[in-house]
Amino acid sequence: MSGAHDHDHAPIQVPDDVNEFEVLEIAIRELAIERGLFSAEDHRRFKEWAESIGPWGGSKLVAKAWTDPGFKKRLLENGTEACREVGIDWIDPTGEGTPSDYTYFYVLENTPEVHNVIVCTLCSCYPRPVLGMSPEWYRTPNYRRRLVRWPREVLAEFGLHFGPEVEVRVHDSNQKSRFMVMPMRPVGTEDWGEEQLAAIVTRDTMIGVALPQADWDATRAPSETAPVG
Amino acid sequence: MSEAGDYAVLMHTLAHVDNEPPESLRDLDRKPAPWESSMQATCECLSWRGSLDNVERRHAEDELGETLYSAFPPHTRSALVVAHSLMDRGVISQDELQSKMQQVRARMEAR
Repeated sequence: MSGAHDHDHAPIQVPDDVNEFEVLEIAIRELAIERGLFSAEDHRRFKEWAESIGPWGGSKLVAKAWTDPGFKKRLLENGTEACREVGIDWIDPTGEGTPSDYTYFYVLENTPEVHNVIVCTLCSCYPRPVLGMSPEWYRTPNYRRRLVRWPREVLAEFGLHFGPEVEVRVHDSNQKSRFMVMPMRPVGTEDWGEEQLAAIVTRDTMIGVALPQADWDATRAPSETAPVG
Repeated sequence: MSEAGDYAVLMHTLAHVDNEPPESLRDLDRKPAPWESSMQATCECLSWRGSLDNVERRHAEDELGETLYSAFPPHTRSALVVAHSLMDRGVISQDELQSKMQQVRARMEAR
Protein backbone atom coordinates (compact mmCIF):
# COMPACT_ATOMS: atom_id res chain seq x y z
CA MET A 1 0.00 0.00 0.00
CA SER A 2 1.25 3.45 -0.79
CA GLY A 3 2.28 5.68 2.10
CA ALA A 4 0.79 8.72 0.38
CA HIS A 5 -2.31 9.95 2.23
CA ASP A 6 -3.43 13.41 1.35
CA HIS A 7 -6.94 13.42 2.90
CA ASP A 8 -7.58 16.47 5.00
CA HIS A 9 -9.26 14.67 7.91
CA ALA A 10 -7.84 14.49 11.41
CA PRO A 11 -5.86 11.40 12.40
CA ILE A 12 -8.00 8.51 13.60
CA GLN A 13 -7.99 8.48 17.40
CA VAL A 14 -7.25 5.16 19.07
CA PRO A 15 -8.75 5.02 22.57
CA ASP A 16 -6.17 4.80 25.37
CA ASP A 17 -8.35 2.59 27.55
CA VAL A 18 -10.30 -0.48 26.60
CA ASN A 19 -13.81 -0.25 28.04
CA GLU A 20 -14.37 -3.39 30.09
CA PHE A 21 -18.11 -3.29 29.51
CA GLU A 22 -17.58 -3.18 25.78
CA VAL A 23 -15.32 -6.21 26.22
CA LEU A 24 -17.99 -7.96 28.29
CA GLU A 25 -20.73 -7.19 25.75
CA ILE A 26 -18.72 -8.56 22.83
CA ALA A 27 -17.71 -11.65 24.83
CA ILE A 28 -21.32 -12.46 25.79
CA ARG A 29 -22.55 -11.93 22.22
CA GLU A 30 -19.82 -14.07 20.66
CA LEU A 31 -20.32 -16.88 23.19
CA ALA A 32 -24.09 -16.79 22.65
CA ILE A 33 -23.60 -17.02 18.89
CA GLU A 34 -21.07 -19.84 19.29
CA ARG A 35 -23.58 -21.72 21.46
CA GLY A 36 -26.26 -21.25 18.80
CA LEU A 37 -28.54 -19.19 21.06
CA PHE A 38 -29.04 -16.78 18.17
CA SER A 39 -27.21 -15.93 14.97
CA ALA A 40 -25.00 -13.01 14.07
CA GLU A 41 -27.61 -12.09 11.46
CA ASP A 42 -30.34 -12.03 14.15
CA HIS A 43 -28.25 -9.62 16.14
CA ARG A 44 -27.35 -7.41 13.22
CA ARG A 45 -30.97 -7.08 12.12
CA PHE A 46 -32.22 -6.24 15.59
CA LYS A 47 -29.46 -3.72 16.23
CA GLU A 48 -30.11 -1.96 12.94
CA TRP A 49 -33.81 -1.79 13.69
CA ALA A 50 -33.26 -0.52 17.25
CA GLU A 51 -30.86 2.15 16.04
CA SER A 52 -33.25 3.26 13.30
CA ILE A 53 -36.18 4.01 15.59
CA GLY A 54 -36.67 7.09 17.75
CA PRO A 55 -39.35 9.39 19.11
CA TRP A 56 -40.09 10.92 15.70
CA GLY A 57 -42.82 8.34 15.00
CA GLY A 58 -44.69 9.49 18.09
CA SER A 59 -43.99 13.16 17.34
CA LYS A 60 -45.51 12.72 13.91
CA LEU A 61 -48.61 11.06 15.35
CA VAL A 62 -49.19 13.86 17.83
CA ALA A 63 -48.58 16.66 15.32
CA LYS A 64 -50.94 15.02 12.84
CA ALA A 65 -53.58 14.60 15.53
CA TRP A 66 -53.22 18.26 16.55
CA THR A 67 -53.89 19.39 12.99
CA ASP A 68 -56.37 16.76 11.79
CA PRO A 69 -59.40 16.16 14.04
CA GLY A 70 -60.45 13.10 12.05
CA PHE A 71 -57.05 11.48 12.56
CA LYS A 72 -57.08 12.43 16.24
CA LYS A 73 -60.40 10.64 16.69
CA ARG A 74 -59.12 7.53 14.94
CA LEU A 75 -55.86 7.60 16.93
CA LEU A 76 -57.64 7.83 20.27
CA GLU A 77 -60.15 5.15 19.31
CA ASN A 78 -57.66 2.63 17.94
CA GLY A 79 -54.00 3.59 18.19
CA THR A 80 -52.76 0.31 16.73
CA GLU A 81 -54.79 0.79 13.54
CA ALA A 82 -54.25 4.57 13.18
CA CYS A 83 -50.48 4.07 13.33
CA ARG A 84 -50.63 2.29 9.99
CA GLU A 85 -51.62 5.64 8.44
CA VAL A 86 -48.14 6.98 9.23
CA GLY A 87 -46.36 3.75 8.34
CA ILE A 88 -45.96 2.23 11.83
CA ASP A 89 -46.99 -1.41 12.12
CA TRP A 90 -47.44 -2.63 15.70
CA ILE A 91 -48.24 -6.16 14.66
CA ASP A 92 -44.90 -6.71 12.98
CA PRO A 93 -42.71 -3.68 13.69
CA THR A 94 -39.32 -5.31 13.31
CA GLY A 95 -40.20 -7.54 10.43
CA GLU A 96 -38.84 -10.23 12.70
CA GLY A 97 -41.73 -10.39 15.13
CA THR A 98 -39.90 -9.91 18.42
CA PRO A 99 -42.32 -11.14 21.09
CA SER A 100 -42.13 -7.98 23.16
CA ASP A 101 -43.56 -5.90 20.32
CA TYR A 102 -46.75 -7.83 19.55
CA THR A 103 -49.02 -5.43 21.38
CA TYR A 104 -51.98 -3.08 21.33
CA PHE A 105 -51.20 0.60 21.36
CA TYR A 106 -53.23 3.21 23.22
CA VAL A 107 -52.86 6.99 23.01
CA LEU A 108 -53.81 8.96 26.12
CA GLU A 109 -54.96 12.52 25.63
CA ASN A 110 -53.92 15.17 28.13
CA THR A 111 -56.51 17.84 28.93
CA PRO A 112 -56.55 20.82 31.30
CA GLU A 113 -58.09 18.50 33.90
CA VAL A 114 -56.10 15.29 33.33
CA HIS A 115 -52.38 14.68 32.95
CA ASN A 116 -51.25 11.20 31.88
CA VAL A 117 -47.88 9.55 32.46
CA ILE A 118 -46.66 6.07 31.53
CA VAL A 119 -44.63 3.42 33.32
CA CYS A 120 -44.08 -0.32 33.37
CA THR A 121 -43.95 -1.60 36.93
CA LEU A 122 -43.52 -5.25 35.90
CA CYS A 123 -40.43 -4.78 33.74
CA SER A 124 -39.74 -1.88 31.42
CA CYS A 125 -42.21 -2.19 28.52
CA TYR A 126 -42.11 0.89 26.33
CA PRO A 127 -43.80 1.91 23.05
CA ARG A 128 -40.63 1.42 21.01
CA PRO A 129 -42.12 1.60 17.51
CA VAL A 130 -43.19 5.19 18.23
CA LEU A 131 -40.69 6.39 20.86
CA GLY A 132 -37.54 4.38 20.10
CA MET A 133 -35.48 2.84 22.88
CA SER A 134 -36.40 3.80 26.44
CA PRO A 135 -34.33 6.24 28.48
CA GLU A 136 -32.25 4.78 31.26
CA TRP A 137 -34.28 6.32 34.08
CA TYR A 138 -37.48 4.78 32.71
CA ARG A 139 -36.01 1.32 33.26
CA THR A 140 -34.90 1.89 36.86
CA PRO A 141 -36.82 0.36 39.79
CA ASN A 142 -36.67 3.85 41.30
CA TYR A 143 -38.92 5.36 38.62
CA ARG A 144 -41.10 2.26 38.20
CA ARG A 145 -41.88 1.80 41.88
CA ARG A 146 -42.19 5.40 42.91
CA LEU A 147 -44.27 6.72 40.02
CA VAL A 148 -47.26 4.57 40.91
CA ARG A 149 -47.08 5.53 44.59
CA TRP A 150 -46.09 9.17 44.45
CA PRO A 151 -46.68 10.38 40.88
CA ARG A 152 -46.74 14.09 41.73
CA GLU A 153 -43.44 13.88 43.60
CA VAL A 154 -41.74 12.02 40.75
CA LEU A 155 -43.11 14.45 38.16
CA ALA A 156 -41.83 17.32 40.29
CA GLU A 157 -38.33 15.84 39.98
CA PHE A 158 -38.71 16.32 36.24
CA GLY A 159 -39.83 19.89 36.80
CA LEU A 160 -43.57 19.27 36.39
CA HIS A 161 -45.83 20.65 39.09
CA PHE A 162 -49.62 20.28 39.01
CA GLY A 163 -52.18 21.77 41.34
CA PRO A 164 -54.92 19.68 42.98
CA GLU A 165 -57.33 20.64 40.18
CA VAL A 166 -55.35 18.44 37.76
CA GLU A 167 -55.81 14.69 38.08
CA VAL A 168 -52.61 12.75 37.44
CA ARG A 169 -53.23 9.34 35.86
CA VAL A 170 -50.47 6.73 35.79
CA HIS A 171 -50.77 4.07 33.10
CA ASP A 172 -48.98 0.80 33.75
CA SER A 173 -47.96 -1.12 30.63
CA ASN A 174 -48.36 -4.85 30.49
CA GLN A 175 -47.41 -7.68 28.21
CA LYS A 176 -50.01 -6.80 25.61
CA SER A 177 -50.51 -3.05 25.98
CA ARG A 178 -48.32 -0.05 25.28
CA PHE A 179 -49.28 3.54 26.01
CA MET A 180 -48.19 6.95 24.79
CA VAL A 181 -49.25 10.38 25.98
CA MET A 182 -50.71 12.96 23.61
CA PRO A 183 -49.72 16.25 25.23
CA MET A 184 -51.77 19.42 24.89
CA ARG A 185 -50.85 21.70 22.01
CA PRO A 186 -49.07 24.77 23.40
CA VAL A 187 -50.51 28.24 23.03
CA GLY A 188 -48.81 30.23 20.27
CA THR A 189 -48.60 27.36 17.79
CA GLU A 190 -52.01 27.92 16.16
CA ASP A 191 -50.65 28.69 12.68
CA TRP A 192 -47.88 26.09 12.71
CA GLY A 193 -47.67 23.24 10.22
CA GLU A 194 -47.32 19.56 11.08
CA GLU A 195 -43.55 19.43 10.70
CA GLN A 196 -42.94 22.43 12.93
CA LEU A 197 -45.30 21.03 15.54
CA ALA A 198 -43.67 17.61 15.46
CA ALA A 199 -40.33 19.17 16.40
CA ILE A 200 -41.60 20.33 19.80
CA VAL A 201 -43.22 16.99 20.66
CA THR A 202 -40.22 15.44 22.35
CA ARG A 203 -39.77 11.99 23.88
CA ASP A 204 -40.38 13.13 27.45
CA THR A 205 -43.63 14.92 26.53
CA MET A 206 -44.99 11.62 25.19
CA ILE A 207 -43.91 9.70 28.30
CA GLY A 208 -45.66 12.40 30.32
CA VAL A 209 -42.73 13.79 32.33
CA ALA A 210 -42.58 17.07 30.37
CA LEU A 211 -44.82 19.48 28.47
CA PRO A 212 -44.16 20.72 24.93
CA GLN A 213 -42.82 24.27 24.72
CA ALA A 214 -43.40 26.50 21.72
CA ASP A 215 -39.91 27.99 22.06
CA TRP A 216 -37.85 24.80 22.21
CA ASP A 217 -37.31 21.51 20.43
CA ALA A 218 -34.87 18.69 21.12
CA THR A 219 -32.63 19.55 18.18
CA ARG A 220 -31.65 22.88 19.76
CA ALA A 221 -29.16 23.20 22.57
CA PRO A 222 -30.94 24.73 25.58
CA SER A 223 -28.19 27.37 25.75
CA GLU A 224 -29.44 28.77 22.42
CA THR A 225 -32.82 29.62 23.94
CA ALA A 226 -34.00 32.13 26.49
CA PRO A 227 -33.54 31.15 30.15
CA VAL A 228 -36.46 29.21 31.64
CA GLY A 229 -38.28 30.37 34.72
CA MET B 1 -28.23 -17.24 44.81
CA SER B 2 -24.51 -17.98 44.58
CA GLU B 3 -21.78 -16.05 46.33
CA ALA B 4 -20.16 -13.03 44.68
CA GLY B 5 -16.91 -15.02 44.28
CA ASP B 6 -18.62 -17.15 41.66
CA TYR B 7 -18.96 -14.04 39.52
CA ALA B 8 -15.48 -12.61 40.06
CA VAL B 9 -15.05 -12.12 36.32
CA LEU B 10 -17.98 -9.70 36.42
CA MET B 11 -17.04 -7.98 39.69
CA HIS B 12 -13.67 -7.19 38.13
CA THR B 13 -15.37 -4.68 35.81
CA LEU B 14 -16.36 -2.58 38.84
CA ALA B 15 -12.90 -1.06 38.77
CA HIS B 16 -13.85 0.52 35.44
CA VAL B 17 -17.00 2.37 36.44
CA ASP B 18 -17.53 5.94 37.42
CA ASN B 19 -19.05 5.40 40.82
CA GLU B 20 -20.78 8.75 41.33
CA PRO B 21 -24.39 7.97 42.25
CA PRO B 22 -26.99 10.02 40.34
CA GLU B 23 -28.67 12.76 42.34
CA SER B 24 -32.03 12.36 40.59
CA LEU B 25 -33.74 10.36 37.86
CA ARG B 26 -33.01 13.11 35.36
CA ASP B 27 -29.28 12.69 35.99
CA LEU B 28 -29.57 9.25 34.41
CA ASP B 29 -30.54 10.77 31.07
CA ARG B 30 -27.60 10.13 28.78
CA LYS B 31 -26.85 9.04 25.25
CA PRO B 32 -26.13 5.31 25.32
CA ALA B 33 -22.71 4.14 24.18
CA PRO B 34 -22.65 1.88 21.10
CA TRP B 35 -21.93 -1.20 23.26
CA GLU B 36 -25.17 -0.53 25.19
CA SER B 37 -27.27 -0.64 22.00
CA SER B 38 -25.53 -3.82 21.04
CA MET B 39 -26.24 -5.28 24.49
CA GLN B 40 -29.91 -4.39 24.12
CA ALA B 41 -29.97 -6.23 20.80
CA THR B 42 -28.37 -9.25 22.48
CA CYS B 43 -31.05 -9.18 25.20
CA GLU B 44 -33.78 -9.06 22.55
CA CYS B 45 -32.23 -11.91 20.57
CA LEU B 46 -31.93 -14.07 23.71
CA SER B 47 -35.58 -13.43 24.53
CA TRP B 48 -36.78 -13.83 20.96
CA ARG B 49 -35.00 -17.16 20.53
CA GLY B 50 -36.15 -18.41 23.94
CA SER B 51 -32.89 -18.50 25.93
CA LEU B 52 -33.54 -15.69 28.42
CA ASP B 53 -36.95 -14.07 28.54
CA ASN B 54 -36.96 -10.26 28.76
CA VAL B 55 -39.23 -10.22 31.82
CA GLU B 56 -37.07 -12.78 33.64
CA ARG B 57 -33.99 -10.72 32.83
CA ARG B 58 -35.63 -7.52 34.04
CA HIS B 59 -36.58 -9.18 37.32
CA ALA B 60 -33.03 -10.48 37.72
CA GLU B 61 -31.72 -6.99 36.98
CA ASP B 62 -34.00 -5.55 39.64
CA GLU B 63 -32.94 -8.11 42.23
CA LEU B 64 -29.23 -8.28 41.50
CA GLY B 65 -29.06 -4.55 40.80
CA GLU B 66 -30.03 -3.91 44.41
CA THR B 67 -27.77 -6.60 45.87
CA LEU B 68 -24.71 -8.08 44.18
CA TYR B 69 -24.38 -5.35 41.52
CA SER B 70 -25.66 -2.38 43.50
CA ALA B 71 -22.32 -0.57 43.12
CA PHE B 72 -22.66 -0.66 39.32
CA PRO B 73 -24.55 2.08 37.46
CA PRO B 74 -27.89 0.98 35.96
CA HIS B 75 -26.70 1.15 32.35
CA THR B 76 -24.10 -1.58 33.01
CA ARG B 77 -26.44 -4.05 34.68
CA SER B 78 -27.93 -5.68 31.57
CA ALA B 79 -24.51 -6.94 30.55
CA LEU B 80 -23.71 -8.14 34.05
CA VAL B 81 -27.06 -9.85 34.58
CA VAL B 82 -27.14 -11.55 31.18
CA ALA B 83 -23.67 -12.97 31.81
CA HIS B 84 -24.68 -13.89 35.35
CA SER B 85 -27.87 -15.63 34.17
CA LEU B 86 -26.13 -17.54 31.38
CA MET B 87 -23.57 -18.78 33.93
CA ASP B 88 -26.32 -19.74 36.39
CA ARG B 89 -28.03 -21.73 33.66
CA GLY B 90 -24.83 -23.51 32.73
CA VAL B 91 -24.84 -22.10 29.20
CA ILE B 92 -21.38 -20.64 29.72
CA SER B 93 -18.84 -21.05 32.50
CA GLN B 94 -16.89 -18.35 34.26
CA ASP B 95 -13.67 -19.71 32.75
CA GLU B 96 -15.12 -19.53 29.25
CA LEU B 97 -16.28 -15.98 29.79
CA GLN B 98 -12.94 -14.96 31.24
CA SER B 99 -11.08 -16.54 28.35
CA LYS B 100 -13.34 -14.92 25.76
CA MET B 101 -12.96 -11.54 27.45
CA GLN B 102 -9.18 -11.90 27.29
CA GLN B 103 -9.39 -12.65 23.58
CA VAL B 104 -11.64 -9.65 22.96
CA ARG B 105 -9.45 -7.36 25.06
CA ALA B 106 -6.35 -8.45 23.15
CA ARG B 107 -8.11 -7.70 19.85
CA MET B 108 -9.16 -4.28 21.03
CA GLU B 109 -5.73 -3.39 22.39
CA ALA B 110 -4.20 -4.37 19.07
CA ARG B 111 -6.30 -1.95 17.06
